[in-house]
Amino acid sequence: MASIWLLQFPSLPFQHRVSSNGTSLLLHHRHCLCQRLNWIPLTPNRTFSMRAIHDSMSSEEDKVVDTAKSTLVVADSKHPLALFQESITSLPPVVFLMKNCPKNYFTMGLCITIAIMVVTLRAYAERKSSQSNPGSVADLVRRGQLRSDRRGISRPLKYDDPFNNPLVKVGKSNSTVEMCGKQYRLAPVTLTEEQQAIHQKRRSRAYQWKRPTVFLKEGDSIPPDVDPDTIRWIPANHPFATTSSDIDEDLAQNNVYQQRGVPFRIQAEHDALQRKLEALQKEEKLNNLFIDSRNAKDFQRPFKLNDRSVEPVEQGPINNSRIETKPAKPELASDSIESKISSDEMQQP
Amino acid sequence: MLSLQLFPSNPNPTFLNPSFKPLSNPQTLKSPNPYPKSRHAPISSVLQWNRKPELAGETPRVVVITSGKGGVGKTTTTANVGLSLARLGFFVVAIDADVGLRNLDLLLGLENRVNYTVVEVLNGDCRLDQALVRDKRWSNFELLCISKPRSKLPIGFGGKALVWLVDALKAREERSPDFILIDCPAGIDAGFITAITPANEAVLVTTPDITSLRDADRVTGLLECDGIRDIKMIVNRVRTDMIKGEDMMSVLDVQEMLGLPLLGVIPEDSEVIRSTNRGYPLVLNKPPTLAGLAFEQAAWRLVEQDSMKAVMVEEEPKKRGFFSFFGV
Repeated sequence: MASIWLLQFPSLPFQHRVSSNGTSLLLHHRHCLCQRLNWIPLTPNRTFSMRAIHDSMSSEEDKVVDTAKSTLVVADSKHPLALFQESITSLPPVVFLMKNCPKNYFTMGLCITIAIMVVTLRAYAERKSSQSNPGSVADLVRRGQLRSDRRGISRPLKYDDPFNNPLVKVGKSNSTVEMCGKQYRLAPVTLTEEQQAIHQKRRSRAYQWKRPTVFLKEGDSIPPDVDPDTIRWIPANHPFATTSSDIDEDLAQNNVYQQRGVPFRIQAEHDALQRKLEALQKEEKLNNLFIDSRNAKDFQRPFKLNDRSVEPVEQGPINNSRIETKPAKPELASDSIESKISSDEMQQP
Repeated sequence: MLSLQLFPSNPNPTFLNPSFKPLSNPQTLKSPNPYPKSRHAPISSVLQWNRKPELAGETPRVVVITSGKGGVGKTTTTANVGLSLARLGFFVVAIDADVGLRNLDLLLGLENRVNYTVVEVLNGDCRLDQALVRDKRWSNFELLCISKPRSKLPIGFGGKALVWLVDALKAREERSPDFILIDCPAGIDAGFITAITPANEAVLVTTPDITSLRDADRVTGLLECDGIRDIKMIVNRVRTDMIKGEDMMSVLDVQEMLGLPLLGVIPEDSEVIRSTNRGYPLVLNKPPTLAGLAFEQAAWRLVEQDSMKAVMVEEEPKKRGFFSFFGV
């Protein structure tokens, strides 16, 4: 059939030139007609006639050329149509097919249709795969060079509706769902508001509980105006609980509400450190003001009891200080002896 | 199990409603239903995409995630729902209220960045903003830990401290949170009492087994006694195959026992453990897992204060004929 159509198309422009009155020429050949027209050897006296059909497209199908004659008029044996026809008929596969199964056009048509479908499907699949624009950023994401979720920072990620998922196919009656190869039926929920209220009443009767507000250790006395149901007894060996009020509640609340600035404990530690540093610096200064004991000896007079007159007058002030210190020492010594005597007397019964 | 809202009760339903208002630039790379080619054609589609959920209730919404029984998925729920909320554009602060056993930071992969906790804030060693750990993946998600291990907090004082914390977060001029999620410790001891003190609403996480349900019922009673009335339930670790074989209670059975509205149903997913190992919550997985999708849906319902109206029950697959290959 295809080979027949190939023969037809070249003839159309030729015939179009012939008919210049605006009518369209249409050739419909049934398979018997085609057979008669094309697969008989061409003769110079073959006539090919067609009927001019009116412009209206709707009537084209009705006006099939049934009475086309089986002859083809070829003015010249070297006509391009004849040459083309000869070349087609001389092809070995065509000759083989037409000789062996000349009437199996249904099978041929089916094969051709399947081939066309396969080609179409492949083209569609290729088009779909190429829709992502090869060489685009999507390839970078696919290769792992770009994190697709981080790209949402600059442009908000378009979010798919979780109720609209291609894996879920809803049946026509809307009561069956096919998902991941399994069939599901939609069963409506049967809980009513009355049933909910009944359950709430049942629970309120079964579970009586009050939030504990007073926490006592074992052994503590119960305060007089406290509901016993709100008391919580803490065992002494509870691993993660303390009952001592180590935490100042007001301070803790302020810490939670603080939005800016240095946190309280950090600030307190910093202040304490600052104070300690200042104290250390002051202590160092004070230490620097004290006289060194080693250097103080230079200011002391030597202790000399027998050589007062011998010392020259020039050493007057120094000598005087030395003299003054000397009697001080025996005075100190006498004082110490006296204190010892008095302490001995005290100790005697 | 995933769920789809068939009969939404809120005035702005999110499913099967053509009268929604999409954003100005709704086309996405992953949009399964592209806009029609004609510019003048009216925009109409059955399912919505790229719509931010409408925040209901007063901000900040302080939600405590509790269960009673340990190991049912409170911390996983807190991490995944919190990140889903952050991804939806809300400012979220997640508080790990477990004084002795802290692990929300592990799940989020932020364990190396926790330098200060609430105990240091109370003692004055740091400010509150210095104790908040901002997630680099989603900058509007922050984590706050109550304490490091081996630190002590006086019993009875923790509740007050949490109230002050919530007030201080609310009073922040920049980045005032829309949601404060409190990851409650297991049990009904001092830690539980501390965690529920500042909360206005609660999410109860339970699994479809009788031990978890009994504890969940008791916890619900205590929450109601303390004045928290808005309590919703997430049923975690659901195995639809076991429910089909009647080896596990169904979600509707669980709801019948507890009498609480459903916020979400999370299927059993091995990806939870892998995400814990990586420190990467599974809602961030691409493509999303079933459990991740369920968490996202639960976060959506939490924002809009909505609940599930239908659950999915696994059925036997239909036997297909010869021509099923052709889609017939």
